[in-house]
Amino acid sequence: MTTAPRLRGRNKPQGPVGLRRDAEKIAGALPPLLAEAEVLAATVSHGAHGRRRAGHGESFWQYRQAVPGDARSMVDWRRSGRSDIQFIREMEWESAQTVSLWVDDALSMDFRAEGSERSKLERASLLALAISVLLMKSGERVSLMGTDAVQPRTGRTQLNRMAMDLGGIPRADRPDYGDPPHDTIPRGGRAIFFSDFLGDLDKLTPVLSHAADQGVKGCFVQVLDQTEEGFPFDGRVIFESMGGLTEFEAQRARSLKGSYQRKLVGLRSQLNDLAYHLGWRVLHHRTNESPRKALLWMYMAIGDRA
Amino acid sequence: MSIGPLAFLSPWLLAALLLLPALWLLLRAVPPSAQRRVFPGVRLLLNLDETENTPARTPWWLLALRMLALAAAVLAFSEPVLNPRSEKGEGPMLILLDGGWADAPDWSDRVSLVSGLLTEAERDARPVALLQLADGPPAEPLPLRGASDAAGRLPALAPRAWYPDLAGWPEWISAQTEEFETYWINDGLAQEDERLLADALLAKGTVRLLLPEKLAAALTPPRLEQGMLRVTALRVPEQTEQTVSISAFGPDPNGIERLLGQGTGQFEPNGGQADIDIDMPSELRNRVSRIQLDVDRSAAGVVLAGDSVRRREVGLMSGGAGSEAQDLIDPLNYLRKAFEPFAETIEAPLQQMLLSSPDVIVLADVGSLADTERNELIAWVEDGGVLIRFAGSRLASSGAGQLDADPLLPVRLRAGGRSVGGAMSWGAPRQLRDFPEDSPFAGLSLPADVEISAQVMAQPDPDLPERVIASLEDGTPLVTSSPLGEGRVVLFHITASADWSNLPLSGLFVQMLERLTQSAGGFAAGSLEDVEGSVWIPTHILDGFGVLQTPELLAGVPGESLSSAVPSRDVPPGFYASGSRRVTLNVMEPDAVLTPLETLPAGVQIEGMERDQETFLGSWFLSLAIILLTLDLLITLFLSGRLNGLRRGAIRAGVSAGFFCLGLSLMTGVADAQDADDARALYAANNTVLAYVLTGNDRVDRTSEAGLRGLGVELFKRTAVEPAPPVGVDLETDELSLLPLLYWPVTEAHTPPSDEAYGRLNEYLRHGGMILFDTLDSDLAQSFGGATPNGRALQRIAVKLDIPPLMEVPPDHVLTRTFYLLQDFPGRWHSSPVWVEAAQEAETVEGLPFRNLNDGVTPVVIGGNDWASAWAIQENGAPLVPVGRGLSGERQREMSYRFGVNLVMHVMTGNYKSDQVHVPALLDRLGQ
Repeated sequence: MTTAPRLRGRNKPQGPVGLRRDAEKIAGALPPLLAEAEVLAATVSHGAHGRRRAGHGESFWQYRQAVPGDARSMVDWRRSGRSDIQFIREMEWESAQTVSLWVDDALSMDFRAEGSERSKLERASLLALAISVLLMKSGERVSLMGTDAVQPRTGRTQLNRMAMDLGGIPRADRPDYGDPPHDTIPRGGRAIFFSDFLGDLDKLTPVLSHAADQGVKGCFVQVLDQTEEGFPFDGRVIFESMGGLTEFEAQRARSLKGSYQRKLVGLRSQLNDLAYHLGWRVLHHRTNESPRKALLWMYMAIGDRA
Repeated sequence: MSIGPLAFLSPWLLAALLLLPALWLLLRAVPPSAQRRVFPGVRLLLNLDETENTPARTPWWLLALRMLALAAAVLAFSEPVLNPRSEKGEGPMLILLDGGWADAPDWSDRVSLVSGLLTEAERDARPVALLQLADGPPAEPLPLRGASDAAGRLPALAPRAWYPDLAGWPEWISAQTEEFETYWINDGLAQEDERLLADALLAKGTVRLLLPEKLAAALTPPRLEQGMLRVTALRVPEQTEQTVSISAFGPDPNGIERLLGQGTGQFEPNGGQADIDIDMPSELRNRVSRIQLDVDRSAAGVVLAGDSVRRREVGLMSGGAGSEAQDLIDPLNYLRKAFEPFAETIEAPLQQMLLSSPDVIVLADVGSLADTERNELIAWVEDGGVLIRFAGSRLASSGAGQLDADPLLPVRLRAGGRSVGGAMSWGAPRQLRDFPEDSPFAGLSLPADVEISAQVMAQPDPDLPERVIASLEDGTPLVTSSPLGEGRVVLFHITASADWSNLPLSGLFVQMLERLTQSAGGFAAGSLEDVEGSVWIPTHILDGFGVLQTPELLAGVPGESLSSAVPSRDVPPGFYASGSRRVTLNVMEPDAVLTPLETLPAGVQIEGMERDQETFLGSWFLSLAIILLTLDLLITLFLSGRLNGLRRGAIRAGVSAGFFCLGLSLMTGVADAQDADDARALYAANNTVLAYVLTGNDRVDRTSEAGLRGLGVELFKRTAVEPAPPVGVDLETDELSLLPLLYWPVTEAHTPPSDEAYGRLNEYLRHGGMILFDTLDSDLAQSFGGATPNGRALQRIAVKLDIPPLMEVPPDHVLTRTFYLLQDFPGRWHSSPVWVEAAQEAETVEGLPFRNLNDGVTPVVIGGNDWASAWAIQENGAPLVPVGRGLSGERQREMSYRFGVNLVMHVMTGNYKSDQVHVPALLDRLGQ
C-alpha cells in the first residue's frame, strides 16, 4: 500500500478547493452548534433563533387569555375547552439571521513574513469561510460583501460561491489598504469585518454609520502578521508598502521598535473605541495563532444575544 | 628578502600592500547597503523619529579587520618562509652519523634530523651520501645518491653497539675526489682521531658539527665489593648533580628473565663517575645476567654480568666429625678460610647439599660414600659440577680407586701413601714444581716455603701425565684432574689440613682453589685474560640499543682480537663461547671514563641538534585571511541586521552551550574524586565492561575505544555476553580488579607505569585478569619484540610484569574453540603469531590430568595484529579502518571479530570450555 506524501503548510493545495477544505476542517472540529444553543435548544427550530417573544414561528411560546381584538381564529380551542376562558396559543417569533462578512482584500493583506505559514488574507478568508460553515449549519444566511456572494443566502451553493470569491483570482485594482464596500447590510443582521485595519480608520465611517442605522451589530477581526507586532528588524532598512506607494527609510530599525509598537497599540485602541461606540467587539488575531481560537471567539460573539 | 627569521620567496607581491591605504579610503566611502523590506506597517512608521543611526560609514575596526585580512592574503601569496636557509646549498652533501652506542638514547631525534637534512637536499636537488662512522669507511668511493633514495634507507639505520673507530676515515675522506659539504651529527664524546677527520673533511668543504643537548651515559662492568654488586655509571662531567638509577635483570628459577634488583646513585657536580651498589641476597646476585640504566638505554648502558660477579657456592664436607676444640686440625676450617674471600660455603649432609646445586663440592678426606650418594654425586658432576677431593688417612685406607678406576677419583691410587721428610724417611719434604702451561694454575707464583711431607700416590697409568695439573719437583702428582661428563673431578693428593703439608697455610692454596672454583659452572673466569689461542663464537650480542640479540652471520673471533677488549664491528659486545668456556665482552672497560669532545679545528661550525626547520607559512596566512574574511562577513551581516533568523538560533545555541560547559566544569570541579571512582567501580561491577589502557596517544586511544565498542556490538549480537560501552583505564589511578579484559595497545612512546601500578597489574594478572598486548605493528620481524620500536616498548613494559612462560598459540589451545573454531587470529594485520601462556604440565589428581592454574585462562595474550583497528566502528556502525581489500578484507575483519568473541568467551568462561571436551565422556559415565 502506498501512502501519498502528507502535505504540510504551504505545500497543501491552495485556491478555492484548499480554502474550502481547510474551512470545513476547522469548522468540523466544533460540535454542530447553533448560536445560543444551550439557551434556545428546546425552543428554536433548526435554523432559527428564538426571539424570546411571541410572534411568527413554529415553537410554542405561551398561552394567553384572549382579549378583545384578537381574531377568533387565533383561539386555541383545545386549551380553551378545558376551562371557561378562551386562550390564545402564541408561538415564539423566529427569524433566520443574516450575517454579513467583509474580508479585506487589499494588498497589505497579502503580506506574509518569512517564517509565517499563511498570509493575512489567507487567514482572514479561512476564518470567514469557517464561520460561514458554522452559521449555515445553524441556518443563518451569510453574505460576503463586495463580491458575487453579496446576496445573503444559506446552503452549500452559497458556501461554494464564497469559497470561489475568497480563494479565487484577486481583482486587479486592489489598493494598498482596504475599506469596506458600500453594500447594504440587512437590517438587524450581524457583520464581521476581517482586515488588518492598518489603513485609515476614518474610511470605515460611512459603512459603519450605515450599519449603525440598520441596527447591525458585529465584530472586527484584526488579522496581523507576527512581524507586524514584533517588528524584528535591525540595521539600515528601507520599508515599503505592499504596493510600493509608501516608503520609509530607517537608519537603525531596532531603535524604532518601541515607538512602532506604541503606535500600533494606539491604532488598536482607536479601533476599540470605535467598536465600543458601535457596540461592536474586536478580536486581535495573529496569523501564527490557532484559527480555532478566533473561530470560537467569533461564534460566541455572533451567537451572543443582540 | 628576509625580515628576521622570516623571508619571502615572492617579495614583489608585497607591493600590493601599498594598495591597502587606497582600500581604506574606498571602503570608508561606501556605506553598508540598506536592505529593502516590504512591510504593511510602514504607515505607522511614517512619522517616527529615530533615536539611533546606523553609521553610514563602516566602523574603523571593521575596516581594520578587512585590511588585516587582505594584508594576510597578500603576505600569503608572497610565500613567506620561517627560518629560511641563508643560502641555497649546492654540490654534494655528506651526512655523517657517528652511529655508535652513544647515539642510541636519542636515535629518533637524529633520524628526524637526518630526515630534515634530506628534505632540504631533495629540494635543492643535491646528491647525498649518508654514512655511519661506526660502520667503517666504505670500500667504494663516496656513495652519492639522490636524497629520496637516501631517505628510503633511513629507517634501516640503527646505532651500533660499539664506539666508532675513526681510524681509516681521514685517509678515506682525503682520497675522495669531489668536494662536498659535511653535516657531522656527533654524539659529543671524545674520539681519538676526530681532529684528523675534521681536518680531512674541512679540506673538502664546509663542515657543520651537530651536537646533542644531552650526552649518553654508560656503565662499567659490575664487580663485587663487600658483598655488594657495584657498578660505576659514567657520564661526561657536568655542572649539575644527576641521579642515575639502574636495574639488574636475570632469570628466575623458571628461566624467565626478571627484574632482580635496583639501585640508584648520584653524580656529583663536575663528577663523571657514580658508584651504584645493588644490595641483594647472593642467591639473586648469582642470577644477575645484565645490569642496565633505567633511562637512556644504549649498548654502553647495559653491562653483561657474566660469571665474574658470581660468588660460587661451595659445598664442604669432611670425612671425620670435627670437634670444636680441634679447629686447627679440622680440614674444613682451612677450606672455610680459603673459600671465604670469593665464595659462599655450605656445610650440610651431601644429599641436602646437592639440592642447593652448589658449583663446587669439596670432599675433604672422605673415604667411602653410600651407593645412592655416589650415584647422585656422579650425576651432579656429569651435569657440570666440580668435585674437589682432598686425600687423607680415610681416603687412603678406604681403598677407593685402588683396584679399579673410581669415577669420583681422577686417577687410580696406590695402596698406602708416601711420607717424605719425616723422621722415618729418607728424603726431605718436597717442594712444588712450576705449574705446566695447560694447568688451570698456570701463572701462579710458587712461594718458596711450601713443602709437602706426605701424599697419596697415583697408580702409573698411560693417561696419568695429562691428568696431572700440579706436581712435586720430583714429578709425583700433587693435584690431578679428570673430566667427568660436563664436570670435573680434582684430587689434591694431600690433606686439606696442615697435617701432610703446609700448602693449606699458604696463599697459594687460596689462589689454587679460586682458580678451580672460577672454572666451575661452565663459565670461564669471564675475564678476558686467557682467551688467546682459541676461536670464540658469539652466542648473544648486544645491539646499539642494548638489547641482546642472537647473532647472525657472525664468524668466530680469534682470542687475540677478543682480548683487546675494545668492541668493534668485528667483535661486537656480547657473550662469547669457546668450548665450555664463556666470556663476556662489555662496551666499557672497568676503568673507562667518558670525556667530552675536544675543540675541533677552527673551520668547523658547531651547531646544536635543534635545527630550525624551514617552514612555509603561506598556507597559515591564507587560512588567517579566510578566517578573517568569514568573520568580516558575519560582522557585516550582524551590523546590517541581516543576521536575524540566524542570530536567534545561534545565540540560543551559544548560550546553552556556554551554560553546559560552565555546568560541566563546575560539576567536574565540585564532584568528589571518590564519587567518580565509586561510579566507575559500580559501572564496571554492574556491567560486563571491556577496558583498554589509555596510552596518552589520542589516536590510539580513540581506536581502542571504537574497537572495543565494535567488539561489544558483535558480542551483543552473537553471544550471551552483553558488554556495556568500554572504558579507558589509567593504570596509575584506576581500579583494575573489576575488569575482565584489558586491551593494551603498545606504542613507542609508552612510558612504563609506576611501581604501584605494576603491583596492581601483577595482582590483576594473578587473580584471573587478562591483558591483551597489541604492538600494532604486525611484529614485522617476527621475532617477538625487540626488532620494532613498539616491540622494544613492550619489552620495557613487560619486564616488571609477572608474565608466565609463553608459547605460540598451539593448534589445540582452548582459544581456538571457545566459540568459533579458529586457527589464526587476524586483526588489521594478518601475519604475526600470537603468544599465550605456555601449557602447564598437567598435574595428576586422582589419576586424572588436571590443570588448575588461573582456571586455565592465560593471563596474557601478546600479538601485533592491531585488533582494535579491525574491530573499530564509527558511531553509525560503519567500520572505522579499512582491513585488507575487498571481500577477503571483510573476511579478515570477520575473522578478527571471531577472535575477539573467542577471547572474551575464554576470559568469561575460564576452563569451562575446555572441560566441554569431556562432556561425551561424562554423559557416557552417567549412563545416558
